[in-house]
Formats: sequence, structure tokens, C-alpha cells
Amino acid sequence: MTSQAIAEQPMSKNSAQQKYSGKPILTMTGVRGGYGDADILQGVDMQVTEQEIVVIVGPNGAGKSTAMKAIFGLLKVRGGSIVVNGTDIAGWKPNRIVQHGVCYVPQVNNIFREMTIHENLEMGAFLRKGDISESLERVYTLFPDLKERRNALAGNLSGGQRQMVAMGRALMLDPTLLLLDEPTAGLSPKYMEQIFEITRNLRDAGLSILLVEQHAKQALAFADKGYVLAAGSNRHEGTGQELLADREVAEMFLGG
Amino acid sequence: MPFMEFVNFYLMPGIVLGSIYALGAVGITLVFGILRFAHLAHGDLATLGAFAALGVVTIFGVSPWVALPVAMIVCAIMAIGIDKVFYDYLSERPKIIVVMSSLGIALMLRAVVQVIWGVDTETYTRGIVRPEDYWGIRIRDREIYTIIAMFVIVGVLWAFLQKTKWGKAMRAMSDNPDLALLSGVDNRKITMLTWGIVGILCAASGFFLGINTELKPLMGWTMLLPMFAAAILGGVGRVEGAVIGGLIVGIAEETSVLFIPGEYKAAMAFAILLLILLVRPTGLLKGKVL
Repeated sequence: MTSQAIAEQPMSKNSAQQKYSGKPILTMTGVRGGYGDADILQGVDMQVTEQEIVVIVGPNGAGKSTAMKAIFGLLKVRGGSIVVNGTDIAGWKPNRIVQHGVCYVPQVNNIFREMTIHENLEMGAFLRKGDISESLERVYTLFPDLKERRNALAGNLSGGQRQMVAMGRALMLDPTLLLLDEPTAGLSPKYMEQIFEITRNLRDAGLSILLVEQHAKQALAFADKGYVLAAGSNRHEGTGQELLADREVAEMFLGG
Repeated sequence: MPFMEFVNFYLMPGIVLGSIYALGAVGITLVFGILRFAHLAHGDLATLGAFAALGVVTIFGVSPWVALPVAMIVCAIMAIGIDKVFYDYLSERPKIIVVMSSLGIALMLRAVVQVIWGVDTETYTRGIVRPEDYWGIRIRDREIYTIIAMFVIVGVLWAFLQKTKWGKAMRAMSDNPDLALLSGVDNRKITMLTWGIVGILCAASGFFLGINTELKPLMGWTMLLPMFAAAILGGVGRVEGAVIGGLIVGIAEETSVLFIPGEYKAAMAFAILLLILLVRPTGLLKGKVL
């Protein structure tokens, strides 16, 4: 199926499931909502299946981050459904969603600045009872830089390392779905590549990842699937390679 | 003036007074850091604690030291209750409304104390206690206990905040409330825990002021400005800063009589507050909130 064919076909839960054979982790259907009384999301459909990276791209104000916040219960969802692991979580509070296996890394303000790296990770596991040393070890293996500086205040770290703390904190609950809101914003190319590599490794280790990304071309290059949002609704959908090859997408959304 | 005279008549009383201020300032800094408002009923909550201990002493005829834990529990329950009925009800409104309501709470608490215990000056024990002499330092036992108790109480609080899961959650809530909520920290539980601790600290500061001086319905209210000065001086949101700030304000007040008339002693806190806001508004240790 070509990307044009997908764009012409009305999206539904079923068509998405037919195309992508993996077990669905997240299925958003006709999600509407926003801050206050205005709907920023005008009916968004999306699906993330097991062990894949899905990238949301689109112009500023398209509702990319808003879609992510809707999943995580940070704004009012007025219509549609958000099904995670078989349960509709639309309208749930964030702390309940966390327990349901979804973790979210906000774009800004995503660390505890006055706490050490180690304490940041411990806070990530706040809802867990019992021993967390295994999860700590796993996160430190993933981010060796953090292990070396585990007793440093997170606020004193470089931008790239802060992003690692933020991701590490979110991984402490062993989520099945990780939401990353522009993890590479403001980072040097070196750190961007590192964050992308970690993202790929996490997928290969079994995690499903939904990623909002300004560096759309780089992200689509390794994404299993991409959605182009514009004005709060779906515009295009396809594998990362399909979207990169699509002329309209390239001209309109990826800067030619 | 001989050095020992300075130590015995100015420095030691300053440290004792400073310890009392420190206990209050730590509570103020906790409320500021975690709940983000200036708690004006802090002094009167301390008054309530002091009089609650007096009640236990007069009814059961026990030593004031036995009454202190009871007063701490009374104040903790009172603080949690006030939050449930008033502050929590206003929590969605602008913070200035909560601040003003805490002024109202201050007046209510004082009125309660006056209705129950009257407006007269009271003491825990009768009679004059003479200071003991330790290698030239003249100090009363109760003054030693005040200083030790302050360091023990704040030390326990410090360990709680640094080492325990819920203590870390309190710091997380103070550091980045949104992220704390995303991590699954229950806002309500942190608020209740904070008020419980604040009540305990208030009771301690009121009790130690009462045992070192006397009990008056206005005792806490007059401590409010020095306690705020101490919290701001130390850096709002910093527990260790509040202790340093409290000791500095206390020592400054007691030694000020060497240079200015004694009637202006109370103005020292105000002068320190003004100076720190002009020179270094974030406090000696960089505050997290202001």
C-alpha cells in the first residue's frame, strides 16, 4: 500500500490494525480535546504497536505535544478513545496512567534540579514497592554517564545529560509505552545522535515509543511509523521511509 | 567588656532565642517551599502549642517536658485540620487569597487561646532558676535543652527529607511539582505530611519560647516577623538556611542592645529582612522559591 493510498483512505482502528500486524499497545481513535474550551485536537487517530518507534511530525501548533498530553491525561479529552493495553484510559489522572504502564518525558522541566541523579531515578520508581536496584542497574547500563555522576545534582548537568536523567526517570517504572516530547530540542548533534541511538536500543529491548520530534528527517529515518499532524488532525501516515519519500510531505512538512 | 561577659549575657541568650526562631523558620520555609505561600498563622500556631503544653501541665500536674510531645500532636492535628477546612478549600484560588486567609486563621487561633486560657501572662513552673556555671559559661539547663532540642528536631527532619521515600517526595514536590505528580506522588498526602511536620515544629518553638520566657497570647504573633526574616535570610525553601537564619536573627537581636536602645531590639529582625531583600534576595544559601 502506498502512502498516497493511506492518505486517501479514511483512517480507522481496523485499517491500522490490518496494516501493522504487531500487538497494539496504544490506539487513539477520533480524539478531540484541548485546554480550556477550545479543541486543539480535532479528531486524532494513531496507533502504536508492540516494539515500535512511532514519530509524530508536523508544523508548530499542529497539536503534536498536545496529542501526547492528551494520552497522559494532562488535558481534557472531550471525545474519542485512548486505548492502552486493552483499556480505555481517556480521562484518567496521570498517576493512574503511570501505573498502567505509560511513562511520559515532558519537553521542559523534566528533572528534579535540586536532587541528585540517583534521587531523580528513585523518584521515577516512587510508585513501586520493594527492591528497585535491578531497574536502577538497567538504567545505569543504558546511560553509563549517569552512573559515574550519580551523586551530582541534576540541575548542574549539561542539556544532554539532563535529558538522559529525564528518560532514565521515566524508565524506572518499566513502562510498556514511553512518550518522549522532543527529547533532542536544544541538544548538540552529538547528543541528538546519542539520544536517538538510546531510543532505538529501547525499542529493540521491547519497548514501544511515541516520539514528538522537530528533527523530523533524522527521526523518520529510523522510525517504524510516522504520523503527520496539521491543525489538530491527521494529514499523512506511513512508515518512516514512506513519509520521507513522499513529495508532498517533504515539501510541506520537512522543509523540501 | 570582657569576652566572657559578651558570651554569657549576649551570645548565649542570642543562640537560645535563635534556636526558637529557627524551629519556626524551618516550618515557614517548608510551607513556602512545598505549598508556595507565606503562612501568617505560623506564630499563633506556636502560641497554641505553648498553651496546649500549659494545659497538660496544669491538668495532669506533669513536667513541661512530658507535655511537649502532647503539644506537638495537638498542633500537628490542628495544622492538618486547618488545611483540610480552609487552605485546601482555597487551593485552586490565587495564592494571595490563601495568604490572607492564613492571617484570619492567626486571629482565630489567638482568640481560641484567649477564650480558653485568658489574657494573663502564664508560666510552666514557678520560681527563679539560676544559671549554672560550666567553665565560665553561665547557662540554665533549660537553655541547653532548647539548643540541643532544636538541633535534634531539625536533624531528624533533615534525615527524614534526605533518606526516606516520603521525605524525598516532599523535596521533589518542592523542586518540581508537575514532575512529582507525573511520578505518581499524591499531592494530598504530601500536603498533610507537610502540615503535620509544621505543626510539630510550631509546637516546639512556642514551647521553648514559653519555657525560657513566659506565655502570652501574643507571644507567637511577635515572633512572626523574626521567623520570616530568618527563613528569607537563609534562603526560602532551605531547611539548613532557616537554621542559620534563625541563629543570626536571634544573636543579632540580643547583641543589638550593645549599640542601640533595648526598645529597638525587635526592629533588628526588620532591619535584617530589609537588608537581605536589598542585597541578596535569594538568601544566604540560594533559595529555591524566591
